[in-house]
Amino acid sequence: MSSNDGYLMLATFLVPLGAAVLLMLTPSRERSAIIAITALASFAMFVIAVYLFVSYDFNGPQFQGVKAWTWMENAGVLGERGIQLKVGMDGIAAPMVLLTGIVIMPGTWVSWKLHHRTKDFFILLFLLVAGVFGTFVMLDLFFFFLLYETAVLPMYLLIAVWGSTRKEYGAMKLMMMLVAASILIFTAIFAIFTEAGLGTFDLPTLFAAEFDPRMQKIFFPMIAIGCGTLGGMFPFHAWSPDGHAAAPTAVSMLHAGVLMKLGAFGIIRLGFQILPEGAEFWAPALVLVGITAALYGAISALRQVDLKLMTGFSSVSHMGYVFLGLGTLNVIGMTGAVLQMFAHGIMTALFFLLIGGMYDQAHNRDIPNFSGMAKQMPVWAIFFILAGLASLGLPGLSGFVAELHIFVGVFRSYPVVGGLAVLTAAITATYLLRMFAAAFFGDFNPRWSHLREITWAERAGATVLAGSILTLGLWPAPWVDRISTTLAQTIPGVAL
Amino acid sequence: MGMEQVVLLPAIPAAIFVVLALFSPLLPRRGDWLAVVGMAVVVVLALAVAFHFQDFFGHGEFDPSGENARAFEWLNLSNGLFQIDLSTYVDAITVVMLLVVSIVALMVMIYSVGYMRGEARYGWYFGALSFFTASMLLLVTAGNLMVLYFAWEAVGLASFLLIGFYWERRSAAEAAKKAFITTRIGDVGLLIGIILLWREAGTFDIQQIIEFAEGGGFDQRYLTVAMLFLFMGAVGKSAQFPLHVWLPDAMEGPTPVSALIHAATMVVAGVYLVARMLPVFDVVLVARDVVLYTGLITAFMAATMGLVASDIKRVLAYSTVSQLGFMFVALGLGSPTAAMFHLFTHAFFKALLFLGSGSVIHATHQQEIEQLGGLWRKQPLTTWTFVIGSLALAGVIPLAGFWSKDEILHAANHNLPVFVTLAVTAGLTAIYTTRLVLLTFFGEPRNHHAYEHAHESPPIMTLPLLVLAALAAVAGFVIYEGVGQALGFAGGIGQLIFAHEPEVFHFDRDLATFALAVSLGGIGIGLVYWWGTAERATRARGWAPELHALLVNRYYFDDLYQSLINYVVLGAGSVIAVFDKRVVNETGVDGGAQTVGWFGLRLKFLQTGRIPNYALAMAGGIVTLSLVAFYTS
Repeated sequence: MSSNDGYLMLATFLVPLGAAVLLMLTPSRERSAIIAITALASFAMFVIAVYLFVSYDFNGPQFQGVKAWTWMENAGVLGERGIQLKVGMDGIAAPMVLLTGIVIMPGTWVSWKLHHRTKDFFILLFLLVAGVFGTFVMLDLFFFFLLYETAVLPMYLLIAVWGSTRKEYGAMKLMMMLVAASILIFTAIFAIFTEAGLGTFDLPTLFAAEFDPRMQKIFFPMIAIGCGTLGGMFPFHAWSPDGHAAAPTAVSMLHAGVLMKLGAFGIIRLGFQILPEGAEFWAPALVLVGITAALYGAISALRQVDLKLMTGFSSVSHMGYVFLGLGTLNVIGMTGAVLQMFAHGIMTALFFLLIGGMYDQAHNRDIPNFSGMAKQMPVWAIFFILAGLASLGLPGLSGFVAELHIFVGVFRSYPVVGGLAVLTAAITATYLLRMFAAAFFGDFNPRWSHLREITWAERAGATVLAGSILTLGLWPAPWVDRISTTLAQTIPGVAL
Repeated sequence: MGMEQVVLLPAIPAAIFVVLALFSPLLPRRGDWLAVVGMAVVVVLALAVAFHFQDFFGHGEFDPSGENARAFEWLNLSNGLFQIDLSTYVDAITVVMLLVVSIVALMVMIYSVGYMRGEARYGWYFGALSFFTASMLLLVTAGNLMVLYFAWEAVGLASFLLIGFYWERRSAAEAAKKAFITTRIGDVGLLIGIILLWREAGTFDIQQIIEFAEGGGFDQRYLTVAMLFLFMGAVGKSAQFPLHVWLPDAMEGPTPVSALIHAATMVVAGVYLVARMLPVFDVVLVARDVVLYTGLITAFMAATMGLVASDIKRVLAYSTVSQLGFMFVALGLGSPTAAMFHLFTHAFFKALLFLGSGSVIHATHQQEIEQLGGLWRKQPLTTWTFVIGSLALAGVIPLAGFWSKDEILHAANHNLPVFVTLAVTAGLTAIYTTRLVLLTFFGEPRNHHAYEHAHESPPIMTLPLLVLAALAAVAGFVIYEGVGQALGFAGGIGQLIFAHEPEVFHFDRDLATFALAVSLGGIGIGLVYWWGTAERATRARGWAPELHALLVNRYYFDDLYQSLINYVVLGAGSVIAVFDKRVVNETGVDGGAQTVGWFGLRLKFLQTGRIPNYALAMAGGIVTLSLVAFYTS
């Protein structure tokens, strides 16, 4: 990857920002212009993301495509060495950028059928995506946090205005919990900045800096809880199922698919990479939290009636695997954690896309109300079953690759926990299979004979996501190579 | 065909699956011919592999790590720290499995052309069958436990899809779900076992793990635990006690599917796995004993349930479970040859019996044996081939089942309790088989509508019956060297089966006579009770109604599991869901928000809007802070 690719990293968040500005200038009655702008912008993001992922050379240096633009020469109290807009990717950011690109394109497509304030919706959605891309490629702590918050804030309006099912409550709860969590992150960032005493927010410099072990032990949990809340970490997950249930389709897709990964990504960037000794100290706690979340989410999902709530709890369970993998502190388990971030992202985006495609027509998501839906909407059901099989860890699909690494990593350090983690996969199979049998199979309930097959936009989006699920499942080497090389290089104390 | 190309065997049906899944509506006859022709090619290639393998073997050039093992790196994390190769491995066990899978699959596909004609989703049916066959062929050629697990789950998925083929029917949907979840519980164990083996041996390669175990690399207790977990997978997939409950329900699938997946091939994957890993089981004999007694309990229990089942396919399903138990007993006794031999013969006669029952169902649209009877007049070919299969199952000389069952009894010769249980079970087998044949094909028709409707099946269905009947009759002779040599196999096919213990097979006249007496005795009892109007059998029910109820209710296992799911699993779900709602959400999150609101409500009265109040508060603050500063500095 050449350093000119830094311009493309800049483009990942300038494209959606530019598109948002362009949309602001477009009159909202010009629907076709809005669709054209969003189509182009989302396609550009997709292409750039794929290119950046492919061109990241895992045999090369850790950070590639590094480019910096000075914003302030000397920020005084905030650093004598100034603040830079500095972009660059390592092998952890690369799959996350790819994930964002893969999810935003179908997310845009399925949102075209919105008729309520379409333009405003896309402005906020693209603002959110700009924040997500920016956080992933940013190598300066100041902008990292700025964009992290940019990604979170539009969520409130997106849910409160375009949502469903207790949307004001869901939006408020999500916002309050995430803002409270941000205070923890903010505090920890200042502690890191002050303690380093280098007068800079430059992340690679901070990665190399030495920190007092006691300080690390105090501030790692702040990062872990602060970012973990966004990652749906038990017991700070309460916003997640309600938030997902309330959010409109594309927002659920981006939120569960990408935004929650931002939380886990924050733990790796700020926690593991800056405060490795703190991470090492608290890793057993992450394992405990991870396995608890995995079981807790899966068992709760058994009893959910609302499809979106079931998927929400399923996300809590699957994100539990991420924390579990991170807590293993060995390169296999941690690789699994990052793989799981990617795998869960595409799979859950597909789930929400499909649920949305049905809910828009039926205005109902309660599993017992449906029966034999595979007759009325076969394409929908096939995609849904594929996503479900990925979720329950069927080999050949994305989820298995990630879970296998996590299981193996956990077994190296904690065999009993490993056994419980594998058992969770069986519980996942139970709630998904029960749902399939109840809703898709059996006699068709004629109450739903007015439902149509999902739209072509939805089918195209589902195809992109399903293709990604199969690609990772059948050919995981490109992901594994990038992630594991970076993890081995970057995190001191990671056991091989 | 050399060993290098063995990867083609799964690749051909896999490619056909992709074509059929995407394009079958566009193809003439929705592409059934593609699946059949592809399968025929696979049979030819499998035979070529067998001949080639014989050449090797005959000339003593057999080298497990040489030409017959091929690997392609799929995943390699940190220079081999965690590496998965897509590797193939061919040995005698593989060759036997390749022959069984490909031949039965071809017969079933040909048969299905007739049986499934006019079905909706006809093309999808052949696609799913091809997917299954590809996965099964991959499973038996895998040289690596991870690839095996991959294929293991894939055959499970195929089984799920095909059991649920008639998914509009609620019972089929439930059966598919039950099969998937039950086998999945076993698979949890399998995956744990594989990871535990990897954890110490550092590889997924089966041969390397075996070498590592034989070299004493594992701690005994550790290895016992790992092998027991691994065995859980076999228990689930091969429907052994206590995970046997899914197989009888799996009969909701189309009958040819039952013949291929739930009788001849997929359900023997567990036997194959244990046979493949038997050198490791030999290191920890406790684990091998678990295999033995699991098989023994299953064989007996399933045979008793087969005595009272009233659905023609369910009788056969119990019989399959019971025969799989026999194979596990053989493995537990340390005789992979007897197990593989029985697997080989059982595949043919059980597939024959299922396809025969399919022919009956096709003709009468009736599967309850109480509603059948007298069909021999209407369906002579089906009847007589079915009788051949039944006699093979009952173990009558000279049919295939006799020879292989004799081998298992021979292996149990030194263990009296096991031997007696097996002999009793063999007797029960003969009884329920006779009952099934008599009630279905002989006596007077009990449902005249079904009987009038009945007709012999078309040639495309009876041809596979004839081929399988021939195999069921003669497959046992492969143990004689001359037979194999006449077919062109240097050492006889028996040499494949007996590759590991070439000297084992001895025809023991006394034992064989005893086994034959047991079979004929069972058949005699069956004839006495069920001949004609089966009055005696009806009366016999009155002797011990509780026992009859126990068997009819399948020892209440299904009810037990259902209440476990309802009360324990879903109960835990309810408890946690309520905890999440009340404690985490309402107390934790909403409670926190309400506390803030409560304080806001109270504290707002401090906001009086009157300057003197604020000035006072400010003055108080300054004084307090000054005091603090004064005393702390």
